[in-house]
Amino acid sequence: MNKDENALWSIFGYLLSGLLVWGGIGYFVDRWLGYDRVFTLVGLLLGMGSALYLVWLRFGRHSG
Amino acid sequence: MRLIHAATGEGFNPPSAKDFELPPFIEGVDWATKPILLAFLSVIFISVFFIAASRKAAVVPSKLQFAGEGVYNFVREGLGREIIGHDFLKFVPYLFTLFTFILVNNFFGIIPFLQFPTMSRVSFPYVLAAITFFIFHYVGIKKQGIVKYLREIMFMPGVPKPVYILLTPIEIATYFLVRPLTLSLRLFANMFAGHLLLLVFFLGGEHLLNGVLGLKLVSPFAFVIGIGLTFFEFMVQVLQAYIFTLLTALYIAGALADEH
Amino acid sequence: MEGMTGTLNLVGYGLSAIGPAIATGMIFAAYINGVARQPEARSVLQPIAFLGFALAEALALFGLVLAFVL
Repeated sequence: MNKDENALWSIFGYLLSGLLVWGGIGYFVDRWLGYDRVFTLVGLLLGMGSALYLVWLRFGRHSG
Repeated sequence: MRLIHAATGEGFNPPSAKDFELPPFIEGVDWATKPILLAFLSVIFISVFFIAASRKAAVVPSKLQFAGEGVYNFVREGLGREIIGHDFLKFVPYLFTLFTFILVNNFFGIIPFLQFPTMSRVSFPYVLAAITFFIFHYVGIKKQGIVKYLREIMFMPGVPKPVYILLTPIEIATYFLVRPLTLSLRLFANMFAGHLLLLVFFLGGEHLLNGVLGLKLVSPFAFVIGIGLTFFEFMVQVLQAYIFTLLTALYIAGALADEH
Repeated sequence: MEGMTGTLNLVGYGLSAIGPAIATGMIFAAYINGVARQPEARSVLQPIAFLGFALAEALALFGLVLAFVL
């Protein structure tokens, strides 16, 4: 019960901050190089991927 | 998202964020607004209630004492002992204060004549989340030492080194930005949206009542749904107070744990 | 309805959130069912349920961000 709820909110936080951090970096790269949203999308995908990897590391690696 | 009616003045003005910006009730004193007054009122109410409940403590409790002890036990056993585990007594005062403060301030949203949830002004949740933020980091640093605490946050074990470039920013953002932000915004958004929802149904029902005959006939439905939503809001308010306190306890427990 | 302003992105996000919402519900329904029938299977089921939840939640958050970015 305790561990489950903790895990759910942590997963939500990781996914959100993955998107925000890498999407934000992509957004500033776009502003810097003058592209239109290309690097934002790349950053979002990268952030989502690494956030999912982090979730897998923390909660899926060893069963239990 | 705002849907603005072009013919302002004539048509129905839907409730918007403007309805939350209340003018000060004393002329010229900027800080004396309704939310501030309600926050003070809640402090007085909580103090009086729990002092009265614990004053004549007896082995066979009176109804008041029973109610007060029920709330206290709920926080102490359900949130403190269950989640923080063996050092929980230190944190029970903070958890209990947090829970009752948020609960009473949320209830103000549906109490007649007061009818304004204090937490729908975003500054209140921000401050509460900031206190929680400082407490759980302080506890973690004190328990494990600053270097070890930060290393545990930033570096997951068992990952090839280059991957840390991807993962460490996410971990830092989670602990130092997203956690306090989601904590406060969840409470704020729930109270804001709930109050807006009630405003839509009651003001809309009133507007329908002043319309032509066909509109008058459907206005009771708006009021009935509004009353139903008031009970729904009651549930949401209790739940949000509980979740805020639960997450605070979980963060403290996470900071205390040697290994997460 | 003339005279209404706003962005359709958010309507699209509302529609796209239906999928992950149903998915999350189904994942936890199955997880609770499994643990209720066989409590010792919990340690096996838990990571699977969490990863499924993470994938579904990822789509919902992706929709949320794209609604504002695009």
